[in-house]
Amino acid sequence: MIAKPWRIQRVGAQAVLRTVTITMAAVSFAVIFLMLAFLVIYAYPAIRFNGLGFLTGTIWNIGNQYGSGSVSHNGYAAMPGAQFGALVFIYGTLMTSGLTMVFAVPFAILVALALVYRVHPALKPLANALVELMSGIPSVVYGLWGMIVLVPWISNSVGPFAEAHLGFIPFVGGGAGSGDGLLAATFILVLMVTPIMVATIRDVIQSQSETIFEASMALGSTTWQAVTRGVLPSVRAGILGSLLIAFGRALGETMAVLMVCGGAINIFPHNLFQPVNTIAAVIVSQLESALTDSSGMAQRSLAELAVVLFVITLSVNVVARTVLRGTDRDGNRA
Amino acid sequence: MRKTLALTLAALCALGTAGQALAATRLLETGSSLLYPLLNIWVAAYQKNDHAVQITTQSTGSGTGISQAISGVAQIGASDAYMPDGAMKSTPMLNIPLAISAQQINYNIPGLNNVHLNFSGPVLAGIYSGKIRYWNDSAIKAMNHDVAGKLPHQPIVPIHRTDGSGDTFIFSQYLSKSTPSWANGPGFGTTISWPGVSNAVGANGNPGMVQTCKHTRYSIAYIGVSFLNETNKAGLGYAALKNRDGHYVLPTAANIHAAAASMVGHTPKDDRISLVFAPGANSYPIINYEYAIVNPKQGNATVANSLKAFLNWAISANGGQQAHFLDAVHFLPLPGPVIAKSKAQIESIR
Amino acid sequence: MRSRRVAGAIGALWWGLSVACLVAAIALLLSIFAFVALRGLPALRPQLFFTVTHGIAGGLANAIAGTFLLVASGLLLVIVVGIGSALWTVEYASPRAQRLMRFTIDVLSGVPSIVVGYFLYVALVEGLGWGFSLLAGALALAIFMLPYVSRAADLALSTVPREMREGAVALGARPATVVFTIAFPWALPGILTGLLIATGIGLGETAPLIYTAGWSNYMPTLALTHEPVGYLTYVVWTYISQPFAKSHALAYAAAALLMILVFGTNLVARGFVEYRFPRSQRIH
Repeated sequence: MIAKPWRIQRVGAQAVLRTVTITMAAVSFAVIFLMLAFLVIYAYPAIRFNGLGFLTGTIWNIGNQYGSGSVSHNGYAAMPGAQFGALVFIYGTLMTSGLTMVFAVPFAILVALALVYRVHPALKPLANALVELMSGIPSVVYGLWGMIVLVPWISNSVGPFAEAHLGFIPFVGGGAGSGDGLLAATFILVLMVTPIMVATIRDVIQSQSETIFEASMALGSTTWQAVTRGVLPSVRAGILGSLLIAFGRALGETMAVLMVCGGAINIFPHNLFQPVNTIAAVIVSQLESALTDSSGMAQRSLAELAVVLFVITLSVNVVARTVLRGTDRDGNRA
Repeated sequence: MRKTLALTLAALCALGTAGQALAATRLLETGSSLLYPLLNIWVAAYQKNDHAVQITTQSTGSGTGISQAISGVAQIGASDAYMPDGAMKSTPMLNIPLAISAQQINYNIPGLNNVHLNFSGPVLAGIYSGKIRYWNDSAIKAMNHDVAGKLPHQPIVPIHRTDGSGDTFIFSQYLSKSTPSWANGPGFGTTISWPGVSNAVGANGNPGMVQTCKHTRYSIAYIGVSFLNETNKAGLGYAALKNRDGHYVLPTAANIHAAAASMVGHTPKDDRISLVFAPGANSYPIINYEYAIVNPKQGNATVANSLKAFLNWAISANGGQQAHFLDAVHFLPLPGPVIAKSKAQIESIR
Repeated sequence: MRSRRVAGAIGALWWGLSVACLVAAIALLLSIFAFVALRGLPALRPQLFFTVTHGIAGGLANAIAGTFLLVASGLLLVIVVGIGSALWTVEYASPRAQRLMRFTIDVLSGVPSIVVGYFLYVALVEGLGWGFSLLAGALALAIFMLPYVSRAADLALSTVPREMREGAVALGARPATVVFTIAFPWALPGILTGLLIATGIGLGETAPLIYTAGWSNYMPTLALTHEPVGYLTYVVWTYISQPFAKSHALAYAAAALLMILVFGTNLVARGFVEYRFPRSQRIH
C-alpha cells in the first residue's frame, strides 16, 4: 500500500532529474547552433550584397557616410562607394596561424621530448607547472609584452639585421618599419599555442610510449632513434590533433594579435615585418567604424566575417577532435 | 559552492553601491579621444558642485560616440565630426559645439623633430596613398629648402586611425579639399578606406597615434591638438601646413583663431559645418568644432535635466569655457554667436 | 660501429636542441613574468584598491569589483548548466550520445572569443537593447566557461567507482539519491577544480567583454542590463596605448594583478588535483 506512491516518487525524481539534465546538455548544442544561425541570418543581407567578391576582394571600404545616395546589389543597399572584400583579412588569419604552426610544431615537440626524457625527475613537477602556467597567461598580457618588448626589438634589431644580412631570402628583406606586423603576431602566437601543444604531446608520449621506447632501445637504437623511429610515429595522431587544436586557437586569437599586428588594411604584407590583419582583430578594431554606417551593411559584413571565422575554426576543431578521438580519451585536452 | 558564490556576489554588489548616492543619475559620455582629456578635466570640476550626477567618460572614437548616442547606449557622443545628412535624416540628433580644436601633423625623423617641416595637402595625400614613399622625395624637398639636404632616404611609415575618428574626418577633409585626386579616391569620413601602403600602420585613438609615432622612426601621423603636450613630451616634430591662401602656417592659437573667425559667420543653426581649409592668410587649415552628439528625446526627465545642466555649464563662459580648462588641451573657446546657437540646441533636449 | 657513433652524435645534437628549446621556452616565460612583475608590482599601490579609474589613471577598484562580479555571475550561469549536462552525459546518455555530447563540448571550447562577443553584441546589446551590461558580459563569459566546467564535471563523475553506486542501490537508495549522496560528493573536488580553471579563464578574457560588458569608471551595481561594467583586462588594453606614464603604470598594475589572480586560481586548482586525482585524470 505504501509501495505504490514510493515507486511513483522514485520514478518521478529520476524522470525529473533526467529531463532537467538533458535540457542542460542541450544548451551547448543550442549555443553553437544559435550562434551560427543567428550570425548567418544577421549577415544575410551582406552575403547577398557582397556575393563571392567577399572572399576574393581585397578592398574593405564601408563607403562614404558623407556622400549622397547609396549603392545596391541584389536588392540590398549600402553607403556610396561601399565594397567589402575580406581576402586581406582571411589571408592574414591563415598566414599568421600557418606560420605559427611552422614554428610551433617542431618547437613544441622538442620541448615536450625534453620534458619527458631529459628533465631530472625531481624537477619535472616544476617544469610541468611552468608549462601549464604559461597557458594561463591572459591574452592581453601577451599583447602588452608584445607591444612593449617584442615590437621595439623587431623594429630596432631584428629588422635591420635581417635587412643587412638576410635580405636575399624572399619575404625577409625590405626593412622592419614599425615592428608591428606578421613577424610580431606570429611570435606572440607561437608563445601562446606552444604550451597547449606541449601539454598534449607530453601526455600522449607518456601515456603510450614507455614500452615502445624500451622496445626500440632493446633493438639497439640510440635514445634519439628510439624517439624518432618508435615513439613519435606511435603518437602521430595525438600530435596531429594537438596541432589542429592549437591551429584553431591561433586562428581565433584576438587581443594579443590585435595589439601587435599593425592593423593592415587593403594590402597584403610584402615581407615578414609588414603589418597584417586577422579576421578576429578586424572585428574588434572595425566594429566602431562599422557602427557609423547608417545602412548597417558594414556591421552585417563584419558578421559575415565572423561567420567565415566560425566556419574555419569549426572545421579545424571538428577535424582535430575526430583525430584525437581515434587515439585515446587522455589525449583529449584543450 | 553556489551559496558561497551567491554570498560573494551579494557582497561585491554591496561593495559596489556602498558610498555612492543611490539616487545619483548616471550619464555615459563616449567618443572622440581628442575631446576625452577635456571632458575628464570638465567632469572632475563639474562634479565638485553637482554630486547628484555621475559621468563616465570613455575614449573610444568619434564613430562610436555618434553611433552610441544614436542607439541610446551613451547620453553624450563626443565627436570631432558633425553628423552626415543621411544619418541626420533617419535619426535627427543635436550636434552641439563644445569648443574649437585643431589638428597637427606630427612626425618622428631623428634629427629633424625640432624643425617644423612644411607640408601641403597634395604632399600628405601622396604620402598616405603610397605615391611619395621616402622622406627625401623631391616633392617634400621642394617645400623644405632649408633642410632639404637633411631629409633621409628612409621609407615613410604613415600612421592612420583604425577606429572611427573625427581626426580622420578632418584630416581626410583637408586632403579632399586640397587634392582633387584624393577627393575622387578615398574621400573623407570618420572611417575611410585607406589606400594600401605596405608600410602603413593603424593605431587606435589619438593616444595610440602618439605612442606609435613615438616608437616608430620615420613615421608621420595626424594627431589632435589636445595631445600637443604629449607629442612634445614624446619629442615629435609638428608641421606647418599650407592653407587655402598658399601660406605655411603653424597650429598656434592665433592661427587657429584666424581660421575660426573667418568661418563663424557661416555657421548654420544646427552648427553642422566644416571649418577645414578656411580662407585667410593666417588661417590654420585643419580646425573644427568639437561636438557633443545628443539625442533631443532623452525620454527620462531626470536624465534630460542632468544632461542639460552639464552641457550648459560646459559652454558657459564662467563654466567649461574658462581658459584654464581649455588651455590645458590647447582648445579655443567658442565664439559668442556659436554659444548662443549651442544654448538653443541644449534647451530643446527633453 | 662507426655509424652507431655517428648516430649517437646526431642524437646528442638533437637532444641538445631539444633541451635548448625547453630552456628557451622557460626563459621566455620567465621574461614575461619578470616584465610584468618589474613594471606592475611597483605600480600596485594600496590606493589602487580603493579608488576608481578616473581620467588618465586613478585606481582599479571598479575594474577589480567588475571583474569579480562578471566572473561570479558567469560561474553562476554556467554552474548548473555545466554540471547538469555532465550529469546527463555520465548517468543517462547512451554511449553514442555520450560521444556526441563530449564532441560538442570540445567544439564549443574552440569557438573564437570574438565570435561569441560579436554575436552577443548584435543579439543582446543592440538587438534586445540591453546596452553594455553585466548580464551580456556574464553570458559571454559563461559560454566560455561552459566547456571547462562541463568537461571537468564529466571526468569527475565518470570516476565514481561502480561498486559505490551498486552498494548504494543494493541498500535501497533511489537512483536520484545515489547521484546526490554518492556521485556528487565523490566528484566534488574534480568539479571544483573545473570551476577554478573556468574562473582563471574568465579572469583573463578580454575580447568577448569589450562589446558586451563595455566599460565603466564607476563601481558596478546590481543592475543586470543598461549599466556597463569595468574589468581589469580592459585597463591593460586601453591604458597602455595612452601617452601618459601614469596610464602605463595603471595598465601594468592591472596586468600584474591579473597574473596574480589567474595564477592564484590555477595553483589552487592544481592543489585540488594533486590532492584528489591521479595524473591521468587531469583536465586543463
